[in-house]
Amino acid sequence: MSNDCAHARIAIGGEPHALPTEVTAHLATCAACRQFHAETLSLDGRLRAALELPLSNFRKAAPAPARRFAMAASVALALLVGGSFWLFRPQTALADEVVDHVRHESGSWSAHEVLSATELAGVLRQAGVTFDASMPVVYAMACPFHGRLVPHLVVQTASGPMTVMLLAHEKVSERQEFSEGGFQGVLLPAGEGSVAVLMQNARVPDAVAAQVLSQVRW
Amino acid sequence: MNPRPRGTTAGAPFARLLEMLRPDLVRFAFWLARDRAVAEDVVQETLIRAWKSREELKDQAAARPWLFTIIRREHARLYERKRLPTVDVETVEALGDPALASDGDAGLEDLRRAIMQLPDEYREPLVMQVLGGFTTGEIAADLGLTQAAVLTRLFRARNRLRVIYGLEPAENAE
Repeated sequence: MSNDCAHARIAIGGEPHALPTEVTAHLATCAACRQFHAETLSLDGRLRAALELPLSNFRKAAPAPARRFAMAASVALALLVGGSFWLFRPQTALADEVVDHVRHESGSWSAHEVLSATELAGVLRQAGVTFDASMPVVYAMACPFHGRLVPHLVVQTASGPMTVMLLAHEKVSERQEFSEGGFQGVLLPAGEGSVAVLMQNARVPDAVAAQVLSQVRW
Repeated sequence: MNPRPRGTTAGAPFARLLEMLRPDLVRFAFWLARDRAVAEDVVQETLIRAWKSREELKDQAAARPWLFTIIRREHARLYERKRLPTVDVETVEALGDPALASDGDAGLEDLRRAIMQLPDEYREPLVMQVLGGFTTGEIAADLGLTQAAVLTRLFRARNRLRVIYGLEPAENAE
């Protein structure tokens, strides 16, 4: 490994979302470090999910001792009410993780050059997935997700970039639409796995989602 | 009379702000203390202290790091005051703390246990960065370290976790 690569890996491992310009320049010329960066971003998405513990095992809001500080009791009450909303919000864990993953790989949306069939096939092969893409795929990466490599693809559409994640090992029982953090998307059941299709600030057209689904084989 | 600067914290908005940030305060305290009861005490003390000092917070956008810093100080203070025994991570693991549980996602639980087992000097900056949104510069200032030292600790923390995540660790990490 060159000194540049060693320097890049430390910068990536230290702060993967804010790289110095020399490291960004290095990534443009070094596929291995680019892969390391993509893996680290994916790890960070998972890491964030791990750190965001469910709060159901914690006290919902500790009542402040009235004798010590009466005003704090009103704060605690407000927290109890707010905490209840938070605890009972709808859970869409897989969608959350997909959105988190995509958010941490935001550079993928700036790609515009359509990948060759060979480049795409290489990524799909790593994940053991077949995808007969009739759409212009401009970004493809085999990303670690739940301990497995999954194809993370971006297709340029008239409405902007559309991310497709082929989750061969994430079974969902039914179609689930989600909208969070500026993303709108859908999780589609696909045999023993699922396909996530999402866009920023735009709803994924049903016909497009159906087309993506029809092109996937595990 | 000086007008209240934009974003300054009046009582009701401040309570709402605390309400919004409380989940991450609880989590941050837990990852520092590795003990639910201690974390709950730390958050309780933090909320009271924050309420008393709310006029110090001039910009609501800075509330998160401000509160995380209070959490860190309260955590340290609690140990000084009560002389609490430090938590042995082996014991925590043996107890199988339900706080680490994940709904059928064994990989996530493994990652949580791995984070629990990171040495304090790696775990703390990592949680500050990933959960708290601190920059390395802010972490360095808060922990009294150089920015280079923080980067190295963060790199080493992630490198240990790469293995749990099924990735090759970087060379020459330690």
